[in-house]
Amino acid sequence: MLKFFSIILRNKKAAAGMLIVLAYIGIALAAPLITSHDPLKRVTRPHQEPTMEHVMGSTRMGRDVYTQFVWGTRTSLIVGFAAGLIVTVIGTLIGVTAGYFGGWIDETLNFITNIALVIPQLPLLLVLAAFIGQSDPFMIALIIGLTSWAWGARVTRAQTLTLRKRDFIEASEQIGEPSWRIICVELMPNLLSIIGFNFIGSVVYTIITEATLEFLGLGDPLAVSWGTMLYNAQTSSAITVGAWWEVFAPCMAIVVIGIGLSLLNFGIDEVSNPRLRTLGAINKAVKAQKKFDQSYKSAKGAAS
Amino acid sequence: MSFILRRILFYIVAFLVAASINFLLPRLMPGNPIDIMFANAGNSMPPEAKKALAATFGFVDRPLHEEYFLYLKSVFSWDFGVSIKKYPQSVLDVLMRALPWTLFLAGTSVVLAFCIGSMLGVYAAWKRGGAFDSIVSPSALAIQSIPALVIAITTLFIFGVGLEWLPTSYAYKPSLDPGWNWEYISSVLYHALMPVTTLAFVSIGGYLITMRNNMIGQLGEEHVVMGHAKGLTDARVRYNYAARNALLPSMTAFALSLGSVMGGSLITEIVFNYPGLGNILFQGIIARDYPLIQGQLIIMTLAMLTANLLIDFIYIFLDPRLRKA
Repeated sequence: MLKFFSIILRNKKAAAGMLIVLAYIGIALAAPLITSHDPLKRVTRPHQEPTMEHVMGSTRMGRDVYTQFVWGTRTSLIVGFAAGLIVTVIGTLIGVTAGYFGGWIDETLNFITNIALVIPQLPLLLVLAAFIGQSDPFMIALIIGLTSWAWGARVTRAQTLTLRKRDFIEASEQIGEPSWRIICVELMPNLLSIIGFNFIGSVVYTIITEATLEFLGLGDPLAVSWGTMLYNAQTSSAITVGAWWEVFAPCMAIVVIGIGLSLLNFGIDEVSNPRLRTLGAINKAVKAQKKFDQSYKSAKGAAS
Repeated sequence: MSFILRRILFYIVAFLVAASINFLLPRLMPGNPIDIMFANAGNSMPPEAKKALAATFGFVDRPLHEEYFLYLKSVFSWDFGVSIKKYPQSVLDVLMRALPWTLFLAGTSVVLAFCIGSMLGVYAAWKRGGAFDSIVSPSALAIQSIPALVIAITTLFIFGVGLEWLPTSYAYKPSLDPGWNWEYISSVLYHALMPVTTLAFVSIGGYLITMRNNMIGQLGEEHVVMGHAKGLTDARVRYNYAARNALLPSMTAFALSLGSVMGGSLITEIVFNYPGLGNILFQGIIARDYPLIQGQLIIMTLAMLTANLLIDFIYIFLDPRLRKA
């Protein structure tokens, strides 16, 4: 496990992403220590610009933006990881089952997956959330998790299909290994990078989607999260009256965690698929090749 | 041709699934579904209108499967009931008035983003590891993870409120009458500039990366080496040999991304106060106008399926193997 991390962290993108994610987790864990107000309490006059006392300003309701941001981090991360987990578990189960067993099982599961992919996500979520009523963040995590697994299932199935034909799987079958053992011991380790990719991607997707649903007024207005911050800012016309700080904090929070997780994801992808590398690795290889060519030429020149 | 037939059949099933979700959801909720769905209708609607509306959604005292067929009948005869918030207008009228704006916004931006993104991706892959690739590709990755909501709010604040360069709401100057004259069209374009750019910006990174990665895969293939060996120009190898093949998986990614572009469009419309579906929905959600919210799922699914069918045709054009099948 440690070795696995050290390989991944050697990639600069992954290391930067990891740093950002850890910083957020730190903020979420330390929320009660680094804030001194109640996020839902009026603590100052409305729409105050950032000052030393209220470093991110105050909202239309006179609430402290910094406090809301910190507590919102907690909500967004929990929702993101919870839904990411649901998405990954469902997606992996369906994808591996379809890819490994094939036949009518594959046809059925693949058909369901394709239907889930072609029905537009946000409109579907709007209907679900509207009927559930003012959903608290965990309800939102659940419905996002239950509706967003299709992409992961598709990718996992594709990868399982290519692995299915490899010699080591066929060999295991011939010596009579039970299916569960082939799936858990032989297949899973080779699917890990795709499952990880799916998980991190789903976390980003959930954080964004949760904020979006809450921004649309489908969340619980008393929950403290980045989405409700944006919703309150929108309904109090914070932007048009020039109170940029009310939207700046949640926007930046979403952007930076999104970038952090994506960097981590693409870093891992590059480690497992070296052809995708940009920057350093390729340049180094090209330079090394040139150097080699030159020394080869000069050696040849010297010989003749 | 069987390829297209099979696709159409699939789309019909997908459409039925969306309709069935609409049918089942209110019935799965705890409590009386009629009370939930028409809770806000009491004040604005006369009782007989409410009863007719309930019948549209299959709320009659019959066995469940008969209710289901009744509901399907309303859906297939384009009857989505009346809007509660905008009573007595029908849901279809309300949605259809807004839909063209959403299609215009989403369509323009998605085509723009796909063309620009794919071209940049081809170029980045061709000069892999070069200065262009090492600046553009990582930025594309970063841009890809920024949601439409954030970009919309930021551009609105900078160019709309701060610099006052571009209008902050409406699809055209409210004092103008719609018509095919330059004044009106230019006003529409002027008002669309910010939302379209926002939406295009959101999805451009994804297309760039997909194309780049497909292209890199292609560049290692033998037919590309063969093209070089035949002494063809770089441009010919790049576009006719590598890019044409790399475009196929890109089209799949394009089809899959349409849903999120539509979602992004809804959000962008709300932020820019643009008269599309998003804006109508925002009002509908706040008023808990369930017929409207259900209607948009049907309409959006239909739009999505139509777009997918179009992409299937493009696929046949791009991939000769499908023409024979």
